[in-house]
Amino acid sequence: MNDPQPVQNSLKSGRWIRSTCKMCLHSCGTVIHITDDGIINKIEGDPENLSNNGKLCPKGNAAIMRHYDPNRFKQPMKRTNPKKGPSEDPMWEPISWDEAFEITAREIKKSLDEDPRKILPSLEDFQKFNIWVWPLAFGNFNCFQSGGTMCGGAYHPTNGYIHSAFAAANDVKHCNYWINNGTGDGFSSHLHAAAQSNWVANARIDRGMRCVTVEPRLSTSAAKSEEWVPIRPATDRHFALGLCHVMVEENLVDYKFLRKDTNAPYLVGPDGYFVRNAEEKIYVWDSVENRAKLWDDPTIQKLALEGTFEVDGKECKPAFQRFRDILDECSPEEMEKITTVPAETTRRIAREFFAAADIGATIEIDGRTMPLRPAAYNYYRGAQGRKMGFQANHAFKMVNFLVGNIDAPGGHMGVTLDDQWVDKSHVAPGENGMMMPNPHQLGPVPPFAYPPNTYHLMDYFPVGVHPPHLNLEVFLNPGKYGVEFEPDVMVICHSNPLWAMQGPREGWFKFMASMRFIVVSDIIPTETTQWADIILPSHGALESWNMTMIEPPHTEGMCMRQPATEPLHDTKSEEDIFYELSERLGILEAYNGVLNMAQGLDHKPELMLEPDKKYTDKEIADRKGRLWNDKGIDWYKDNCAVTERRSDKWYRPWEGMRLHFYIEDMLHQRDQLKKKMEEHNVPFRNEWHWDDYSPLPTTRLDPVHEEPEEYNLFGMFFKDIQLNFGESIGNPWINDIVYRDPVHIALMLNPKTAASEGLKAGDIVRVESPYGKIYGRIGTSEGWHPDALGVSNSLSRVNIQHKGVPHAGGHFNDMLPYDLRNTDAVTGQPETVCRVKITKLDDWPAGLKEGLTVYDLVDDIQKPGKGGRH
Amino acid sequence: MARYGMVFDLRRCIGCNACVIGCKQENSLPDGMFFTRTLSEEYGVYPAVGRVYIPTLCNQCEDAPCEKVCPSGATYTRDDGIVMVDADLCIGCSSCAVACPYDQRSQVDKDLFEHGLFGTDELTPFEKDGYQRFVPGTIVKCDFCSERVDAGLDPACVVTCPTDARIFGDLDDPDSKVSELIRERNGKPPMPELKTRPKVFYID
Ligand code: SF4
Ligand code: SF4
Ligand code: SF4
Repeated sequence: MNDPQPVQNSLKSGRWIRSTCKMCLHSCGTVIHITDDGIINKIEGDPENLSNNGKLCPKGNAAIMRHYDPNRFKQPMKRTNPKKGPSEDPMWEPISWDEAFEITAREIKKSLDEDPRKILPSLEDFQKFNIWVWPLAFGNFNCFQSGGTMCGGAYHPTNGYIHSAFAAANDVKHCNYWINNGTGDGFSSHLHAAAQSNWVANARIDRGMRCVTVEPRLSTSAAKSEEWVPIRPATDRHFALGLCHVMVEENLVDYKFLRKDTNAPYLVGPDGYFVRNAEEKIYVWDSVENRAKLWDDPTIQKLALEGTFEVDGKECKPAFQRFRDILDECSPEEMEKITTVPAETTRRIAREFFAAADIGATIEIDGRTMPLRPAAYNYYRGAQGRKMGFQANHAFKMVNFLVGNIDAPGGHMGVTLDDQWVDKSHVAPGENGMMMPNPHQLGPVPPFAYPPNTYHLMDYFPVGVHPPHLNLEVFLNPGKYGVEFEPDVMVICHSNPLWAMQGPREGWFKFMASMRFIVVSDIIPTETTQWADIILPSHGALESWNMTMIEPPHTEGMCMRQPATEPLHDTKSEEDIFYELSERLGILEAYNGVLNMAQGLDHKPELMLEPDKKYTDKEIADRKGRLWNDKGIDWYKDNCAVTERRSDKWYRPWEGMRLHFYIEDMLHQRDQLKKKMEEHNVPFRNEWHWDDYSPLPTTRLDPVHEEPEEYNLFGMFFKDIQLNFGESIGNPWINDIVYRDPVHIALMLNPKTAASEGLKAGDIVRVESPYGKIYGRIGTSEGWHPDALGVSNSLSRVNIQHKGVPHAGGHFNDMLPYDLRNTDAVTGQPETVCRVKITKLDDWPAGLKEGLTVYDLVDDIQKPGKGGRH
Repeated sequence: MARYGMVFDLRRCIGCNACVIGCKQENSLPDGMFFTRTLSEEYGVYPAVGRVYIPTLCNQCEDAPCEKVCPSGATYTRDDGIVMVDADLCIGCSSCAVACPYDQRSQVDKDLFEHGLFGTDELTPFEKDGYQRFVPGTIVKCDFCSERVDAGLDPACVVTCPTDARIFGDLDDPDSKVSELIRERNGKPPMPELKTRPKVFYID
């Protein structure tokens, strides 16, 4: 108190600037305090940002430790150890930027000239789509980034069909009954963790919103919900179908919505296609006149949703009846055998859900009277990351369809990826009165080709997100897929595929070793940088410019990132790096062309990039800001451009267009692909899982349920808010909280399961799936489904050149499949649960013994005098 | 004069630890040191099992056992009720840390500042700047971010808490949010039987 100088960081003499968090892909507004000495010493949420309302999650609070991390790459470097391997020291040698660019451009150019398909990009800075699209400048559709696998491979295309949007969220402003299935939305993860937690907590406490969490573990969401419904892993689709069964059987359905706003009444013929007349117009059945009419016939009195009819000599049924037929097999009692959820629980939740949806209620918002449907079913990775991912997604959406809550106040809403400009609409009318389906939310997909033009077979996923795990399938089965080129150059930017990719590491190591040249642009050492030939160190998020707003559920706008300090090291912005490479590779003009289109700059011609110019991160950010609201970057320094999402962009933006209850396009896509595969004699066409293409979700089991009996448990992976989206481990503040949390420091089992396996907490074990294995230490908790083995994301790292990252004994992803059998033939989504068996060991295997693992660190923390210090 | 207190809404808290890291940021706490922690407690047997997240910090007790045992007068209570430690007077005897029934006091160990947060035996600029506040050997703890409070700001953990589970305000003002919550949701202090009269209350 005698010291006149403040000791608290936010009060020291300095200045505050407005910026945006980048500790995950989302974009919470921040204010950053920089001392007079130029030290960044405090980051808080921007209270003016209506999305995160001044809040930050623990990761956002830990950004300073990424900035000052001494393990950061400090200058361009080249590898001098020709030997590559997971534990080979690259023996970095600092070089000049000029030399780094020269080597990189020379090596990429060799492949570019020979065959551009030999370049394998993994560009994954989620806040910089301007870098993602770089390979399109040379027509390359390869993909080694994990966005598809580890995120929403099937989720995004389904949202594209149902909402014509990238993501989805429940409308927290009006929802009163919130089902969370395999997602931490509003509690720990998924969209804007910090912001959503605030919105959801307010809805729960101030409005009494009831939450039900369906998940194999007592997650944060489950712990905070009024009800936790434990479920056997990888059976969520069946739970949802059980709910639908009860709702349809007991007439707990918004029939008015289905008739007016969906294609549920459209007549479906025996081949699964809608029944059309010669002009391609679709028939419906008027149940008053008892005859078929065209969908837009003004004389229709009542659309039939149920029944079997005949049109033009063809037997047909309304799409809704087709779904009913499937639901006949989905009684809660039948589904219980698969999910273990008691039938009575399913029946009760279906009834509660319907009652909360308050069918018939309306609300007036901004002069528009709309249905009010304050009950919604939300889900994400845990529930949808299935081999039959598309059908899983569709099943969850069906629960929402039945109560008419799609994009309705209180209901289940489409969320856009990045709004780009103020009057951009994400919906458009399609054929026969329906909304245009828009499954390609991440941009164009490559056209069909055989032999394939992509190494991961994206040529055969016309509605998918890139399935990067198939790179390994193709690599390990040379010849089988007819690929006529071998990738030999990897270009990686802010991406850690060697950590994120599923399939055994040994296989991926061989894949990495087969590369002639690997360049990585990143800020800290990772599993992947270990294999690089050249490191092009980029600026951290506190040293660079950007403009975006990723997947904001309830708000819209742009969030500006600005440098809080000069770069600490000899680094460059990602823009500088990729522009320089483009120029040296002779693709500058093409790159600017791609950017104009992909960034929507062509929408305002004055903002378009000139073909032969290189642009800085600031210039790109400035253009994106102007594209949104005509304001330049300086305006954004003083103003927050985030506002509540306008109601006409959020609620029923499709009004007047029918939604795809029945996704007929599945059949078009299937048959077109089949035809092309036949025409080209594609040798693996008979292995393609055509059944995955279904216009309605079915009860067919995912192959994870058909693994050999000896694999008696279901291995599953989970994250919480401290560990979301990216490599948080290694940040000392994150380590300091994560390694004190019992669920993040052991392989988790229900105590009864542990006992029946002859195991107890603390035992060292080997866990094996049919595809790979890991080592670890058992922990027990009553908060686990007895069939599940849970592995936290904190236990996924290996020893790398970052000293803060300890070895976890293997990565859960090693145990996941990477083959076609476990890949959704529609979307490329791979199975993310595996069957496992556990073996008790007397001691750690060689290589993990020397006090090197997470578990040693945990023991150290728990010693008196360290962990006890509080 | 206000009498400051904090309310923890156990229904809101999601155990995210943003508060814990926010506090580390604000106060430049070294590795393994915490002025606040969020505990998590599981109860029940599968499937009827639950978990509660419990934020904790210095309770700024009215009858502070730490203050009573402090032989040097280093621990004192401000007029606004915040319990402080004057590092200039603290002789590092640790009596207060032993006396605190809530285990909220830590001793500043010199070696904490030597290894650095990254364990490289070097300090980041953030640490070099921030660690100057600590006097090795003395006792430290949460002081409700007294400097922020003096500047009219809420404590750092309060402003960052994503769920608004931490509510700060004047216990003497019947219209303050804290008073209202304690009244309407029956706020309870931790371990009331100890009669330390904490200025921290839990509601559920
Ligand atoms: S949710 Fe993401 S953007 Fe927001 S504070 Fe956390 S890490 Fe940062
Ligand atoms: S920040 Fe808030 S919600 Fe998170 S642990 Fe702390 S008190 Fe709980
Ligand atoms: S009030 Fe301040 S010092 Fe106390 S726990 Fe919160 S942030 Fe830390």
